Amino acid sequence: MSAIETKSLTKVFKKDFSKKKIIALKSLSLKIEEGEVFGFLGPNGAGKSTTIKILLNLIRPTSGTVTIMGKNPSDKNVRKLVGYLPENPYFYDHLSAKELLWFGGKSCNMAAPAIRERTLQLLEELELIDAMKRPLRSYSKGMVQRAGLALALIHDPQILILDEPMSGLDPMGRIKVFNLILKLKEEGKTIFFSSHILHDIERLCDRAAILINGDLIRLIDVKNDLHQGETLESIFMDEVKRSGGLRE
Amino acid sequence: MNGIWSLGYITFKEGIKSRALFGILIMVLFMFAVTETLTDLFMRDIVKVAADLSLSTISFSGLLIVLFIGINLLSKDIDKKTIYMVISRPISREQYILGKLLGIAMLLIVCTLFLGILSSIPVYLSKLSYENPQSIFKWHIYFIAIAFIAMKLILLSSITVFFSSFTSTSFISLVLTIATYIIGSTSEVVKGLLEAKIEGVEISPAVAAVIKFVYYIFPNLSAFDLKIQAAHGLALPSGYILSTSLYWGFYIAIMAVAGALIMRRREFP
Repeated sequence: MSAIETKSLTKVFKKDFSKKKIIALKSLSLKIEEGEVFGFLGPNGAGKSTTIKILLNLIRPTSGTVTIMGKNPSDKNVRKLVGYLPENPYFYDHLSAKELLWFGGKSCNMAAPAIRERTLQLLEELELIDAMKRPLRSYSKGMVQRAGLALALIHDPQILILDEPMSGLDPMGRIKVFNLILKLKEEGKTIFFSSHILHDIERLCDRAAILINGDLIRLIDVKNDLHQGETLESIFMDEVKRSGGLRE
Repeated sequence: MNGIWSLGYITFKEGIKSRALFGILIMVLFMFAVTETLTDLFMRDIVKVAADLSLSTISFSGLLIVLFIGINLLSKDIDKKTIYMVISRPISREQYILGKLLGIAMLLIVCTLFLGILSSIPVYLSKLSYENPQSIFKWHIYFIAIAFIAMKLILLSSITVFFSSFTSTSFISLVLTIATYIIGSTSEVVKGLLEAKIEGVEISPAVAAVIKFVYYIFPNLSAFDLKIQAAHGLALPSGYILSTSLYWGFYIAIMAVAGALIMRRREFP
């Protein structure tokens, strides 16, 4: 059984007050196996976040199917298996990281002692322990991102879906998040993440997909498909050129 | 249940730490001080005036909490996309609506209880300063009136939750809630005027039908206004308390179910 599977996934958005339709995803079929780290590449508007939102049941596909561990994501219990970090996460202003993680653990039916233990462990690891009682609105961008990662990890999920986890981070923040993803990979977690930082994807991922204008252009086995001197960046640029650039 | 409870709890926490709440509290303290000063200007029935003013203050400040904190607790989730953090957890859309309503209800109960206790100070002081052996003021009716204010505010919040389930900005929810509050507070009086059949006043059947429709569709918020009973120490029939409580529970249930059904179909791109 695949950890994540999409079959002919299509999403069409209708613009308000007009009949104009935007095809955000065109018949996307993907299989991501358990324990795999999968990178999702594409320029802005390529359909990466749309795919992720369908995986989390935030939006529904116009057609096609999606399963997580063989189950439909509309089943709320499926989300116990998933940890999600949205792009530019925004949390309640007055809550502290400790309260945020209490919510994360409680909503997954974790017992209070387990939540406490895991909270301290994660906040220590993500270097937020000194700020855990401060309101989240006083956090820097990097700290918010790390708090979001802690929330995604509080219930020790089998699958992680990370939307631009490195976005807006300073070099130190990027290194911390990078190392964390590496550690999760070693623990055998399935990680599905989108990023614009191709170098990170190349170093972290087993496979990557290039998505342009809603179309899956290419699937790359990072270890075997990159030939001498070839980088993910060069392949990506070639594919963007070949596809005729981006739609308006 | 964990999903509803955990969401309710963080919603309550977010609301109780809101700066707007402190602003409202300062305003309430000022109003209670004014109540104490104003009652001194009256020659008699000071307790009646103090009770009336105190209950009006609680009701008004509660309305401000619903409008400026309650609405934000829900609509901001959609405005600022904090909803991603909630519904990406094992929380269904229906549980989301119930959790939010629970959190706002907890906030309103705590605030009304606190204001109720605080409001009893000017009432108690006026009782002390004007000892009237014929006074008919009864504390238990005063506190029932406060409980009914809390019920009215929770009912109004359930309507806010319903509106927020399909609106995309907090401003629209705010406007719709204010409109509902005005209609709900006055519909009984308007219907009463319609049924009074005043001589020389002709009301067209269409207008009468609209008034009746509005009366039955919108919540009758004036049913929760017990200021007169509290100020005059009038007895409250248990049948009235029971029927109003049932109406309250029924209306909230309808709003929660309707909100949940709309939310179930909603997408968050």
